[in-house]
Amino acid sequence: MDPSIPFLACLVGAAAMFVMLRPGPKAVRGGAAVVGLGVFAWMAVEGVKHLARTGLPALGDAQPTDRPEVFYLIFSLIAVASAVRMITHPRPVYCALYFVMVVLSSAALFLMLEAEFMAFALVIVYAGAILITYMFVLMLAQQAPEGNQPHAQPDYDVLAREPAAAAVVGFIMLWLLTSMIFDGMGGARPSQTFDQAEAAVWDELGNMPRQVSQAVEHQSPGSTLVNDGRILIVDDRPTVEVIKAGEATPTTLQLPASIRPNNVQLVGMDLVAKFPVSLELAGVILLMAMFGAVVLARKQIEMGEDETREAAGMRRLDLHVDDDQFDGGAGR
Amino acid sequence: MTLPCNFFVAQVMTELALSHYLLTSAVLFVVGLVGFLARRNMIIMFLCTELMFQAAAIAMIAFSRYHMNVQGQTFVIFILTVAAAEAALALGLVVLLYRRKETLSADAWSELRE
Repeated sequence: MDPSIPFLACLVGAAAMFVMLRPGPKAVRGGAAVVGLGVFAWMAVEGVKHLARTGLPALGDAQPTDRPEVFYLIFSLIAVASAVRMITHPRPVYCALYFVMVVLSSAALFLMLEAEFMAFALVIVYAGAILITYMFVLMLAQQAPEGNQPHAQPDYDVLAREPAAAAVVGFIMLWLLTSMIFDGMGGARPSQTFDQAEAAVWDELGNMPRQVSQAVEHQSPGSTLVNDGRILIVDDRPTVEVIKAGEATPTTLQLPASIRPNNVQLVGMDLVAKFPVSLELAGVILLMAMFGAVVLARKQIEMGEDETREAAGMRRLDLHVDDDQFDGGAGR
Repeated sequence: MTLPCNFFVAQVMTELALSHYLLTSAVLFVVGLVGFLARRNMIIMFLCTELMFQAAAIAMIAFSRYHMNVQGQTFVIFILTVAAAEAALALGLVVLLYRRKETLSADAWSELRE
């Protein structure tokens, strides 16, 4: 591709970003948003033309697909537009809501990439838990409106810090990334062919013996698995060796397509069987973060138990204990 | 190739589709970076880092699909873990700082650099 295309696109995009970061008339900022999104779409389309000229990689016997491009364009435009609105909106609560929009549209992108488990985990964890925490803190730290201007925003939300420098950094970074993406294409090949990948998926089924034996029991009742229930690919079909009831020699039995491990099973198997230590470490990190958050939150508590009870309108306990027993060494 | 597949016709993602997802990921990352540099509200700055995490996750999933290997998806679980831990700690700190100075502006703490 002509190297000036990502350069020009990133330049226009950065200029649009600069305009949107500064306070100005609504029409100007809206126009800049339209120009920026248009440039993004232009870059995507030019990339398509470039790659179509260089030819597609060898794909084995599998059917190549260009995926539903329309849905890609819709969801990524939503994601990019809400991301831009998120960093330009003066009200923090709206920023958090626009980020929810980004999360939802990238969950849709994950679905198109056949990562079903991660799509739903993203919506539950990000939109459901992390963003709620953000909203909660935003409400907690909301500044009381001053006197006669109930809708006035504090300065630090309205005025950006050095929008020009930020736009220049963004331009350099984006130019670098996009030219790398478009130049690097044509050299990268999938690390395995479709056949190998599919064989590896069926191989995972060997770790789920109960599912295999249930399928065998369903297909030919009374037969027993031999060869430890290993999955063999015969004539492009996944099969197992079984001894049928009343027979002496093993025969092969085709497995139905419906027991192919799905995305959740594959991710779970990968997580638990291949990265058990990382999984434990992730748990430790979460635990430590919880401890840290609790310690940080305790820092400001200076009331003893009696004062707390009094504030809640309850009877004093008249416990005569040393104060420093309760403040956890934090309330100095 | 006629290996049975649950829902889909046997499909391989082309480089073309991969470059699209990488482009989206790059743009989201840079928008998050610009937001982190330009915004002065501490909470929004941390929200922008979450946006950068999100961009990284999209790139991982796209590569995972391209190489037909679920390890990229497994890694996104760890990204989510780190993002959740970061959100809890960062927001705890922000609340603490807010109680000290009654403002969310990052500039209020510029004396820390001296």
